[in-house]
Amino acid sequence: MDFPASMSMEEAFALAEAEAKLNAALQESKARFEQAVLPNRLNEDWRFGRPHKYATALAELLQSDTHTQGEANVQHGGDAAVRLTAEDEDLRQTELLMPTIGSDALLGLHLERFGSGYALYIEENTAEPIHIHYSTAGLYTPSTFIMVAPGVKAEVVEHHEGLGEDAGMFVTRNIQVAEGAELKISLSSNNMARYMCITNIQNMGGAVKHLTRHEGHAWAREETVAETYTEGSDTRLFSANSLSGDNILDQHTRQIHHVGGATSDLLYKNVLDDKSTAIFAGNIYVAPGAHRTDAYQSNRNMLLSEKATVNSLPGLEILADKVRCSHGSASAPMDEEQLFYLLSRGIPQYEAQKLVARGFMDDVLARFNGEA
Amino acid sequence: MSLIIKNLCARVKDGADILNGIDLEIPTGEVHAIMGPNGSGKSTLSKVLCGHPDYEVTGGSVTMDGQDLLAMSVDERSRAGLFLAFQYPVEVPGVSNANFMRAAMQARLPKGEDVDAVAFYKQLRGHMKELGMDTKFTARAVNEGFSGGEKKRNDILQMMMLQPSYAILDETDSGLDVDALRIVSEGVNAMRAPFRSFIVITHYKRLLDYIRPDVVHVLSKGKIVKTGGFELVDHIEAHGFDFLKNTEA
Repeated sequence: MDFPASMSMEEAFALAEAEAKLNAALQESKARFEQAVLPNRLNEDWRFGRPHKYATALAELLQSDTHTQGEANVQHGGDAAVRLTAEDEDLRQTELLMPTIGSDALLGLHLERFGSGYALYIEENTAEPIHIHYSTAGLYTPSTFIMVAPGVKAEVVEHHEGLGEDAGMFVTRNIQVAEGAELKISLSSNNMARYMCITNIQNMGGAVKHLTRHEGHAWAREETVAETYTEGSDTRLFSANSLSGDNILDQHTRQIHHVGGATSDLLYKNVLDDKSTAIFAGNIYVAPGAHRTDAYQSNRNMLLSEKATVNSLPGLEILADKVRCSHGSASAPMDEEQLFYLLSRGIPQYEAQKLVARGFMDDVLARFNGEA
Repeated sequence: MSLIIKNLCARVKDGADILNGIDLEIPTGEVHAIMGPNGSGKSTLSKVLCGHPDYEVTGGSVTMDGQDLLAMSVDERSRAGLFLAFQYPVEVPGVSNANFMRAAMQARLPKGEDVDAVAFYKQLRGHMKELGMDTKFTARAVNEGFSGGEKKRNDILQMMMLQPSYAILDETDSGLDVDALRIVSEGVNAMRAPFRSFIVITHYKRLLDYIRPDVVHVLSKGKIVKTGGFELVDHIEAHGFDFLKNTEA
């Protein structure tokens, strides 16, 4: 290791120690890929996700050498946006270290195809939202890296689009928000035969609002791990999805509080019609010593059909004192009194149902937009 | 033209009988008050007329301007000219008041025609002003987080927008303070017209002092047991419903 001449002995030691730590972490991470097995029902994180049908097929596609690529575009990115290449070693390491929720083996396969997507190094307030757009008609595996510098206010809109019957996408997203920074980011994805998205949010004392909307996927899995590293961090996770037909949406979240004095909040809502299925497994983890943590989690589902299914598994793991944490889950048909109220004003049944269902979800969007 | 209720019997679905043969005729242009002790069936009558799914009609008939009301769906009844101001207006999260009202107005237009947005908002704001409502309520979710009084005003606002032929006010005075009671009553009185009727359900004289009824009915155990003029209101205010015991005897 070379050190600049101006560096003091202490600084050199600190740097060497940091590098050693990183190397150890990378080794450990490589080991986890070697040990990882593909998703199966015995894995608690894949219990309801029909892994034999969807995850196995995704793994086979990832391993096959017919690498159909997709398109990646950025709008209003300016100097902040950098197209990713396979040579981007720092970012490859970031992906290598990212946590999954039971999908290490799949992440390992994603890493083998590393090198497409965009990185955003946002060092100035965004005048208008930066748009990232990924699209594919085959199987596309881009990565998104977003770093927001201290004190900077940024807005990002991400869209993942399927362009054909057999379109599939597996996206990894790493989002780092520095102290005093504010990031509002929405992700919408639609119309794919298979869609998977693993997101890691690292909040170092900023404010993050993160929204996901998945629509029209035969199978979609979202893993979102939001980590809090600095006191005063505020992370808000939202999701609003409308499922129909045989759609399966499998969402897994972790709100990890490594330090105390920070806030995280989650609101995930689904409207389910026909024979659709929603799975939500969320966990709030408060590390030992992360006192004075405020963390909430709520999953709400509206069922429009008797054949729709919901599996909702909220969870808490608290290893600190003086914390305020709560979680809740509710799945129910549309409220009959609300529907009657709309009908009694002459709004026809179909329109009334649509309004109530949309209202149920608009509530999430209003909160994301700071209107409620 | 009138609302004619003949021998109407209804019960809670799979439960107890509540209406036991109601006979009422509300000619167009009149205001009828319905009073009665708790549990006499006043709110049930209003809900049955609107077609609430919790109730089952077990006998009798209701015609509104010659149309068979009971054969219509809930939304058809409203579009045919019936309106209910709820005792407890319902909160509908995420649906803005403006969108809600617009959908109700849209439903009354022929296919292919759209609500004129400018005229709609002008009308909405005008009525809100009459009712002393802040225009910020247009963007807020229907009744969500509204106080009891605000919810009642919001229902009256809907009535003003929809201009029904037959309006039922179910204990609209409950939860209103003196000023709100006056404002809401003035709103109702402004809508009194030869082509519109009101059924005012209340426990108290104070509302009827503002909205002066033409006819007063007393409901007891699911039946109309007495019909008269305003002197009946005065009698109930002074002596309560004790006289019903003699009626039944």
